[in-house]
Amino acid sequence: MLAAAVLVISIVLFSIATATLWWMMHAWRTPEVFESTTFVRPDGGTGLSITLMLAIRQERQDVVENTVQKMLESDHDNFDIVIITGSDDPETTGIARRLAQIDPTRIHTVIDPHHRNKATALNSALAAGVCQGDILGVFDAEDVVHPALLSHVDHAFLTENADVVQGGVQLLNFYSSWYSLRNCMEYFFWYRSRLHLQAEKGFITLGGNTVFIKRELVEPTDPDAQWGWDDTCLAEDCELGVRLSSAGKKTVVAYSPEMVTREETPDTLKSFVRQRTRWMQGFLQVYRKGDWRQLPTRRQRLLARFTLSTPFYQAASGLAVPVGIAIGILAKVPMVVAMISWLPAVPMFLVLAFEIAALRDFGKEYYGKDQPDQSHKVNFGTYLTLIIGMPFFQIVLMFSALRAVWRELRGHQDWELTKHVGAHLATPAPTSATSSV
Amino acid sequence: MSTTLDRPLERAPIDRAKPWRFLGRSADFWLCAVATIAVLLVQAWNIAGYPRVFDDEGTYLAQAYAIDHGLGMTPYTYWFDHPPLGWMQLSLLAWIPEAIWHSPGQLVVAYARIIMLPFTAASCILLYVLARRMTLPRWAATLAVLLFGLSPLSVTLQREIFLDNIAVTWILAAFVLAYSPRKFLWSHVGCGLCAGIAVLSKETMLLAVPALFVAVWQNVDKRTRKYSYVGFIGAFLLLIVQYPLYAILKGELWSTGGKVSLIAGLTYQLSRPGSGSVFAKGTNAHDVLHNWLFYDPVLIVAGSVALVIALAFRHLRPVAIAGVVLVLTAIRPSGYLPSMYIIQMLPFFALAIAGLADQLVAVILTYRARPIFWQQLARLAVLLVCIMLAFVYVVPRWYSGDKNADTQDLNTGYAEAVEWVHTHIPHPGDQRIVVDDTLFLDMLQDGFKPSRYDIYFFKLDVDPDVMNSLGGSEANKWKSIQYVIETPYMWENAPQSYTTEKILNNSTVVWYYGSYPPNSIAGQNSDVEIRKVIP
Repeated sequence: MLAAAVLVISIVLFSIATATLWWMMHAWRTPEVFESTTFVRPDGGTGLSITLMLAIRQERQDVVENTVQKMLESDHDNFDIVIITGSDDPETTGIARRLAQIDPTRIHTVIDPHHRNKATALNSALAAGVCQGDILGVFDAEDVVHPALLSHVDHAFLTENADVVQGGVQLLNFYSSWYSLRNCMEYFFWYRSRLHLQAEKGFITLGGNTVFIKRELVEPTDPDAQWGWDDTCLAEDCELGVRLSSAGKKTVVAYSPEMVTREETPDTLKSFVRQRTRWMQGFLQVYRKGDWRQLPTRRQRLLARFTLSTPFYQAASGLAVPVGIAIGILAKVPMVVAMISWLPAVPMFLVLAFEIAALRDFGKEYYGKDQPDQSHKVNFGTYLTLIIGMPFFQIVLMFSALRAVWRELRGHQDWELTKHVGAHLATPAPTSATSSV
Repeated sequence: MSTTLDRPLERAPIDRAKPWRFLGRSADFWLCAVATIAVLLVQAWNIAGYPRVFDDEGTYLAQAYAIDHGLGMTPYTYWFDHPPLGWMQLSLLAWIPEAIWHSPGQLVVAYARIIMLPFTAASCILLYVLARRMTLPRWAATLAVLLFGLSPLSVTLQREIFLDNIAVTWILAAFVLAYSPRKFLWSHVGCGLCAGIAVLSKETMLLAVPALFVAVWQNVDKRTRKYSYVGFIGAFLLLIVQYPLYAILKGELWSTGGKVSLIAGLTYQLSRPGSGSVFAKGTNAHDVLHNWLFYDPVLIVAGSVALVIALAFRHLRPVAIAGVVLVLTAIRPSGYLPSMYIIQMLPFFALAIAGLADQLVAVILTYRARPIFWQQLARLAVLLVCIMLAFVYVVPRWYSGDKNADTQDLNTGYAEAVEWVHTHIPHPGDQRIVVDDTLFLDMLQDGFKPSRYDIYFFKLDVDPDVMNSLGGSEANKWKSIQYVIETPYMWENAPQSYTTEKILNNSTVVWYYGSYPPNSIAGQNSDVEIRKVIP
């Protein structure tokens, strides 16, 4: 009986781990695929107008100001910025108003009258009618936008005939702690590799920022139909992606290291767990909402199930693999079963090996010899941390998953906000600009 | 971006070759199919009759039988002599002879040789694909398959149930995957897995793995290289590590006091008494080499020379490295040279010869060529003469060698011995018989119980399981044995074992096959004798 259980669980885990590995390594499948994951250089094909939406809440002035300054440096010639704050947060609203004076023609402010979360903020901006661009781009308070990003996105919309463009997002403060390093690598694989395959297969969960959407897709047109972002969902980005995919909209993903939006990991393990809990609960909500059932093909629906439950079996396998191996060694099971209990460890170790290789690329692309930021180096200790951190990170993910299920079952659906301290900003925002507003 | 996969890919040169189709299939398909079928026909004909059944064949087949029937890794105590993946594969294919032959009078091991045909077929196909991926032209790829499969040496050795043949199939698969035209990451992972299976099928294949590194190196793109190598090495190691893991789970990684263990098995293999230098007369290695040369000097000599020259050509270099490392290991002055070792070199010989032939033809036809009719005609004539010479030299030798292989029956003695036992001892009950491993399964079929009653003579005095089942004091244990079938192999090795000597000296011949009068242990006086032990 025990043997049969170990056998079944091992084979299931092996299949899951192998599938995860396959998805994770998509970008490096062939040199052509790797080439195709980056932005194409815009050669004339631009001409759309873009509205950048920036929902902020209880942010520090220097953080937001740096973000807005960087946006204004963009080489695109037709864009504006909408800063959204909550009615219950007059201090941040004050910051927004001061920032708007830098360039009143380009920067608009909107106050969300019933602020609950990012989705209500974005929706109130849509309802207020200040978003006039053909394309809406969503960013977060601490995002550093590359000056060339908008023209590349514009080009992508035109040449690829896209409805949605998801740009790369990369966490950078790998040096902050052991879980930051693991979190950075997660993002690296997610944006550099996995999302591309999701887009190709026609089912994608969008990221929270550096997302560009045709305005007509989210604007309120038909009063009965759902519009904008779902403010009851904890992962409104994922929800929107699933809704648009299910409606057959085409998403294009592009990752160029020099153009990714640079972000930071949550500053404490506690806030990391909160953020992860929120995402996982959000995934759970999207799964339960069931928009994905409208996907045309069976394969896509299967992929939807697989994707939306990823956090949960990932967490489960973190627990089950060691237990399976322990049973294989300690309990009296036939030799074949004991050998098979080891099977899931094979793709798991391959994942670790690929993570080590990717860490080298990560270090080169963001902190390498010819990069402007030389403040931190990926060294032997970093690799060691990555290896040793693997089981502990699994435990954290597992804990977050259990917490998400618990909260969902108990009906806790409030938004646990993540605080940003600006650890990824190599240099603080220039003080002259700060004093000018 | 993700959706721009339709941009033109850079194609490997083989994809640019002009398509030529017949009955909807490509020229490659037909050439490969015809060459493979030719090889299969020559190898399958008289497969049970030639060469004489070899002890190791019986050993591996008996081990496959043990796995198939839930007796463990082997019918005796598994002592980590080889990794078990080879005979695990044999056990998966064991239904093939059972499905075709049921008659009890036929020698089990000899007929079971048809298990090897799928491996040979797979090797031929993989060899063709590999040659094409190495950018050899179609005729050279076909030549490689024919050299590989039709040499009398190949026809003799590839028929036999040797783990080396299985390992060759897998290492060829690894090479084919290393040469992925799309430089596909998962092909390189698959390459590592196949290399792992090859090594776990026959550990000496480890010698060919460094060449795979070079093959992968030649077939990766700088942008994805790191990941290809991590996948290749990771998959290889994670598979190989299952073997020590198995030993750990059994608690037999290392041991003291003469118990079986992985470390003890490895130590034994690495410290096997050297068979001397192949170049020194009178050594075992020299005999082994001459035995190979007896079957076919052409492939061995031409292949060895071609391997060294092939090192100079980039597209031939990976297989040349594999072949050269194997050859150098064989001719190192000390160390053990197994008599089937050459099997692993055969595909590399064939590829090196075919690759150089391609180069030679190119030189004859195009080196400093001018579009002058007479010059072109002269070049064609030279080429024709070269082909004729090679043909005249090789074909008669191979024809006579392959004819022997397809007509001689060297196993009559064994088959008749089995037949005699079958008619005279049909229900042996608790009687014990000592045999060499070639006849182990036949005795099983006849009703002798495995291991303790149907005894492989090499296990006498060695395997405590066997000895404990024989009653009486150490010196008298031989008296519990009723029969012994003496073969030349047993006769050669009998002096190593007290009990074997004892039963051979204290027995009478009840049946024999051969031309000399029996009853004397002093000479190899018959092919096969059945003796009844007189306690």
